[in-house]
Amino acid sequence: MTTLSLKRLAVLALPMAALAMTTAAQADEWTPSRSIEFVAPANPGGGWDTLVRTVSRVLQEEQLAERNFAAINVPGGGGAVAWAQIARDSGNPHKLFATSPPIILVPLAGASRYDHTAFTPVARLITDYSIILVSADSDYETINDLFDALKENPRLSVGGGSAPGSMDHISVAGLASAAGLDASSVNYIPFSGGGDAMTNLMGGHVEAVITGAGESAGQLGEGSQLRALGVSAPERLSGSLADIPTYQEQGVDYTFDIWRGVMGTPDMPEEAVAYYENLFAEMLATDGWQQARDQLGWIDAYQDSEEFGAFLDEQKELFSSVLSDLGLLRQ
Amino acid sequence: MDALNNLMYGFGIALEPINIAYVFAGVFAGTIIGMLPGLGPISALALMIPITFAMEPSSGLILMAGVYYGAIFGGSTSSILLNAPGVAGTVATSFDGYPMAKQGMAGKALAIAAYASFIGGTVSIVFLMLVAPLLSKVAVSFGPPEYFALMVLGLTAVVSLSDKSLVKGLIAAVVGVMISIIGIDLQTGTERFTFGSIQLLDGIDFLVVALGIFALAEVFYMLLRGGGGKAPKRNAIGSLKLSGSEMKQIAGPIGRSSVLGFFTGVLPGAGATIGSFLGYSMEKRIAKDGDTFGKGNIKGVAAPEAANNAACTGSFVPLLTLGVPGSGTTAVLLGALLVMGVTPGPMMLEQRPDVFWGVIASMYIGNIFLLVLNLPLIPLIAKILDLPRPLLLSLILIFCMIGVYGMSFSVFDLLLLLGFGLIGLGMRLFGFPAAPLILALILGNIMEESMRRALQISGGDWMIFIDKPISLALLVLALLSLTLPLLKKRRKKSA
Repeated sequence: MTTLSLKRLAVLALPMAALAMTTAAQADEWTPSRSIEFVAPANPGGGWDTLVRTVSRVLQEEQLAERNFAAINVPGGGGAVAWAQIARDSGNPHKLFATSPPIILVPLAGASRYDHTAFTPVARLITDYSIILVSADSDYETINDLFDALKENPRLSVGGGSAPGSMDHISVAGLASAAGLDASSVNYIPFSGGGDAMTNLMGGHVEAVITGAGESAGQLGEGSQLRALGVSAPERLSGSLADIPTYQEQGVDYTFDIWRGVMGTPDMPEEAVAYYENLFAEMLATDGWQQARDQLGWIDAYQDSEEFGAFLDEQKELFSSVLSDLGLLRQ
Repeated sequence: MDALNNLMYGFGIALEPINIAYVFAGVFAGTIIGMLPGLGPISALALMIPITFAMEPSSGLILMAGVYYGAIFGGSTSSILLNAPGVAGTVATSFDGYPMAKQGMAGKALAIAAYASFIGGTVSIVFLMLVAPLLSKVAVSFGPPEYFALMVLGLTAVVSLSDKSLVKGLIAAVVGVMISIIGIDLQTGTERFTFGSIQLLDGIDFLVVALGIFALAEVFYMLLRGGGGKAPKRNAIGSLKLSGSEMKQIAGPIGRSSVLGFFTGVLPGAGATIGSFLGYSMEKRIAKDGDTFGKGNIKGVAAPEAANNAACTGSFVPLLTLGVPGSGTTAVLLGALLVMGVTPGPMMLEQRPDVFWGVIASMYIGNIFLLVLNLPLIPLIAKILDLPRPLLLSLILIFCMIGVYGMSFSVFDLLLLLGFGLIGLGMRLFGFPAAPLILALILGNIMEESMRRALQISGGDWMIFIDKPISLALLVLALLSLTLPLLKKRRKKSA
């Protein structure tokens, strides 16, 4: 409850941001002059929220940042509500938000006026990969078995944890087209989350499931009801997922990243961007981060602001082409 | 007696002094969070993640679980006293709890809620302990067709919730389904009824509608009636004591709803809200005095309160045995466990028995704490009804607005709250029941999504709903529950 009133204070303090910025941006070596609002554009519990809370905690524990990072949830519209708010806060160097493929996909689907180009890329931090799962007693041993079956019977259902045209669907549709199928021929069944999709796979309600490798790690291993056919990584993952072959090993030249990073307000001053880039690079090297990262099944994938910006543009092209194959491009 | 040994082991962990302190802190914080409308367990738990990170995983989960079931326990208070549900799971409690409070029986209603919550919670911990691993199979056997059938069965309760006019009840239910449709359609990604507004993309939060249609509409209604200046009845709280015959009356509903609630909670996605509605409508149909439900029947308080607490405990089954969160709240718990280095799932019983059995044992202790904590508080909290009417009405208004604003920090939601308050007032004035609307709003979304998912899997073949035995059985039950009352009526007429 105390943090609730803190949040409200932060909201009240918003108009002050513009003032603080003009004075701070003039200094050469920029450092934050007050708490940084770190926005998760979703409700507590999801991927963005976990990233925001983990980063804030590690920064505090390792005493890397001069100022506190305050985690704030702004749910709504798959991110669109938060983006619209942040887009109005041009130049504010004390406001960051967690981001991932939806910053490109949601606008492509026509559900947000703002896409990644409206904001300032700060850094890419981590990535996860897609994983294809089937029931442990299934006949399919490789992704090729699965796609052969799909060729014969396109009605076979593949569940995923997000709406059509979003991450899981793009990932499996792209894979299908790399495997020689029509991207739109996959009978993709959207569930309300990766967990929901995996439960339905355990119950035999769908044939296969695509979800995040990190999210599925707890479900795999000895005595599991599920079996993994392949991961979308360029090379094998580590830990409990090391036994799972990549798509490329199985002759399908396709990779898919579920990246997560941090972006800032539109036209954030360069000095501030440089400060945050360095801060996050330092954070990634700490023990505290590495421990948290391993527990959550994330893989470091740091890119600085410039690289991240170029990467986002490439991703947009890739996603647009898959979405147009699927007939879901609205922009 | 394997379970007994495991339980003793669990008590060994839960009875460590530090863990007893955590249970107490958790249920105490939960009770207060639950009492305040809007401030739900989800945001409270998310705030606690940084605190629990450094703890032993078993202690962390003991604390967080305490907040969760404590909130469901405490949520009934504002439902009963103010007609403003504290958490979504206690909406059904206000149907009879608030009328009881208006009749000067607030103390009794709160006491019944506390006893029913305690029993519902405790019964379901026994189930959780004995059959959790087995039940994970039941949970996964529910796929899209089964969920659709379950929601259809749930919706048949509209008939029993419709009081006088079935037509008006059905109209209210249709409006509820329509509200549930607002937002991005998960099946196609298309926006529906958002009118280009990004605030509506995620749909309308259930609590905004519930607080508007119940609490705010009540405030408007009282103002309209000029009841603003009326002095409250003396001794508006009444006695807390239950007579022997009253105990007998609520024993059955509590028992049945505890079991029903637990199984509803086990199904991912169903949870406390649906559980409490199913419990309420089941009892209304079974009861001989079913027509007094909604007017202050003690069974109408006992049933949903037992069911929602049982469902809350039941929702730990998919979380702990499958590693799958069935609700927003358990999703936050899952996240917290992962951060603490514990991966819930099929392997958890073997890898981290301390967490599994420690939490189960702590729930027994937590439920006793809740009962002991809540009963003496009832006369104090219920004093709120002694406030002069104008003050009380303003207080309800403020509670609702803070609650709604606290959920999303959105002024738009406040306007929605006001709008639903006016709709609720209109419904009252023209004799439309509010309960069917709320029920349809909760069930409509899952029903539609499940139906379309099932048809997508079957390639458009409707037989999928009949081929699956569980789905078929549920649909037959739904048909029976619609036709039996009609047949009964006809028999009465001809006799």
